[in-house]
Amino acid sequence: MLFRRIVLCALLVGALAGLLVSAVQHWQAIPLIAAAEVFEGSTEPAEPTAPLAATAHDHDHDLAHGDAHAHDAAEWAPEDGTERHVWTAIANVLNAIGFGLVLVAAITTWEHLRGRPLASARTGLVWGAAGWICVFGLPTLGLPPELPGSVAAPLGDRQAWWLLAAASGAAGLGLLAFVRGPLRLLGLALIALPFAVGAPHLAGGPFAGYDIGIARQMEALAGPFALATTLATAVQWLALGGLSGWAVARWVRPALADLTPTL
Amino acid sequence: MQQQAALQIARPKSALMAIAKPVLTAVLLGAVIVYGVGFSPIAAAHNAAHDTRHVNVFPCH
Repeated sequence: MLFRRIVLCALLVGALAGLLVSAVQHWQAIPLIAAAEVFEGSTEPAEPTAPLAATAHDHDHDLAHGDAHAHDAAEWAPEDGTERHVWTAIANVLNAIGFGLVLVAAITTWEHLRGRPLASARTGLVWGAAGWICVFGLPTLGLPPELPGSVAAPLGDRQAWWLLAAASGAAGLGLLAFVRGPLRLLGLALIALPFAVGAPHLAGGPFAGYDIGIARQMEALAGPFALATTLATAVQWLALGGLSGWAVARWVRPALADLTPTL
Repeated sequence: MQQQAALQIARPKSALMAIAKPVLTAVLLGAVIVYGVGFSPIAAAHNAAHDTRHVNVFPCH
């Protein structure tokens, strides 16, 4: 019963937040990705005209990462244009449903353990902000937003560091918010831990291997892209949080009331 | 009196146990979905969710 309500709330919240962020991205981050893809694959100066034609239709990323990510040219990818936008929107909605499940479950637990009607759109915004810090803010301090075509440390290393940053951020914020006493300080240590470990980076920077003129142009896209992703994810997480708080108050709370502890 | 005190102590634990299973299952399901969208190495999943991965700053290719 409770599980079903949590899932239904997350589906609704994720669909709304995912569609909202798709609209936001469509006019800010996506054009920057498209602009960077023009340069992607132009690391080999031997073929000056081919990359433009090639990257328009596929976005395989078998660049300077060596074994990190070599795609077969035959792998399916959505066609640029409508098909790609639709898949991006589907992925955004699914992603938001996934995060929505976590948020709705967390807010439900919070309200239930405190034993008071705390969930609301307003308190949900705080939860959403905390989610944004864990999943975007902290990981991004170590691994800045990457445009297509930029080169970086092996994928597995970056994914592992990302996970460490997000997980220790969540655990650290949880300790800071919900624990009293000296144990609380452990929260700060946890948040700092991934940065003590250090994010994986390559020596040459994100545009190593590119022609200097192209590297300059890609650098010029990196700043706006960082701003665009910051705003898009902030919109996504505030929408997720606010909607989750509202949904818990409206649909999960009645199910919690049925759970009067039996002794 | 004594019984009431026992109830007070017992409540937080049973309150947690009452929701632990659905809540943890929901979190796990959410994590699996996010993994599939943002971290799965399957090429088709990567290509379909490519722009989502970049905007969410999931490590990508």
